[in-house]
Order: sequence, then C-alpha cells, then structure tokens
Amino acid sequence: MARVKRGVAAHRRHKRLLAQAKGRRGTRSTLIRPAREALFHALVYAYRDRRNRKRDMRRLWIQRINAASRIHGVPYGRFMAGLKNAGITIDRKQLADLAVREPDAFGQLVATSQASFTG
Amino acid sequence: MKTYAVKANEIERGWWVVDASGQTLGRLSTRIATLLEGKHKPTWSPHLDSGDHVVVINAAQIRVTGNKLSQKTYYRHSNYPGGLKAETLDHLLERKPTLVIERAVWGMLPQNRLGRAMLRKLKVYPGPDHPHQAQQPVAVETGEAPTE
Repeated sequence: MARVKRGVAAHRRHKRLLAQAKGRRGTRSTLIRPAREALFHALVYAYRDRRNRKRDMRRLWIQRINAASRIHGVPYGRFMAGLKNAGITIDRKQLADLAVREPDAFGQLVATSQASFTG
Repeated sequence: MKTYAVKANEIERGWWVVDASGQTLGRLSTRIATLLEGKHKPTWSPHLDSGDHVVVINAAQIRVTGNKLSQKTYYRHSNYPGGLKAETLDHLLERKPTLVIERAVWGMLPQNRLGRAMLRKLKVYPGPDHPHQAQQPVAVETGEAPTE
C-alpha cells in the first residue's frame, strides 16, 4: 500500500483556516494557532449574538415607540397598556415601523389606546 | 419587513433653546441630554448621533435643591502628586457658570465617540444672549420655575 504523508492534508487544512481568518489584526490573520483560536471565538460570538440580536431589536422598537408616543404626550407604558385594553395586538416591530413611516396612523393608535386606558 | 435604520444624510437636526433660569440642575440636564441624543425622535438609531442642537441661556441662574450650593464638589486631578483639586458648586458658578450644565449633561451622555459628538451640539451661555439666532432655535417648554 502506498505511503500517506500528512503534510499535504495539513497544508490544505491550514489554508482553509487562514482563508477564514482574513482581515483580522496582527498574527490572528497570519499564524495558524492564533488564527484558529480567534476563529473558534468568533463562531461562539456569532452564535450568541444571533440570539442577542432579537433582544437588541426589541429594545430599539420600544425606545422608538416611547419617543413617538411621547410626542402625543403619552409615555410608553400607558400607551401599551391602553392598546392591550383596546384589544389591539400589533406587535412592537410593526408599531415602531408605523411610528417612523406612518406618523398619522400611529397618532390614531395613541388616541384609540388612551380612549380605553383605565388608570 | 425590515426595521428602519436612519442614514447619516437623512438626519434632520433641529435647534432648541432652553432658558435655565430658576430650573433645577439635574432635571433640566436630563431634558437637554435627551434632545442631544435624539431619543425624542421615532427614528432614533443607536449607531448614529441623530440628536438636535441645544442652546442653553441664563446658565448662571441654575438652581439646586438642599445644600448642594456649598456641598456639591467638583474634583479633578492634575496627575501630579497631591494634584487633586476640589471646587464647590457656588465657586464654580462664580468662576465658569457654563461648566456646571456642561458637566451635568456630559455625565448623562454615552462616554464614547458618539457621546462626544453629541456634547459638541450643546452650547451653553451664562447670560440671556446667544449667537445662534440665525438657526431659529425653538424654545423648550420648561414649565414654571420651581420655588423652594
């Protein structure tokens, strides 16, 4: 049976690794070991932050809804409580979008919400 | 649907003018910080400075509650041994009244590059005059000045 030397395979593996490590600072883009460690970390951060992104976006929507409803003199909490009482189930993503693109529609929502707000 | 992200060339910067006379320092500063940050706009985006310019007049007439006039102390260090300087609020109001509001607002803004950009939009003047008439700043409703 033919003899298998490992250098060729290792070189290919390293080449693939360094291709993914392009653009990093210093030795993290040129040396195998720092590049591999940085890559493993990067994958962990990416996995974690795909989940964190959903929370970040919800926070952003709430901040925008708060800003928009305060223009009509109603803070976020009272606006959302009123919506719930009125049986309106538009989610925060849609509300934040309405606040930016359809300020008039948003204003009507605030009015509807406050009509059924009970202390 | 994609969440709206404001672009740098879409930011509309307004101008506000705030009369600080008789107002409480912290309560006024939070209002100013909100305007500088742009948190009052439905287009607010965390990655850009989307705030407005704020002109503060009568900064020397700011008020504080309690004994803070003689007890609130501003510290700074020159980095030399024994170089800690302390200055009370009444002293600082005498020496440089604009610094009081600038520092209070600074503490309420993000401590990063964006925060520094926001702070640059704050213009504080000790008296009732300001050189920003051409920008036609809108007066901020501060309500009745609180009485002690």
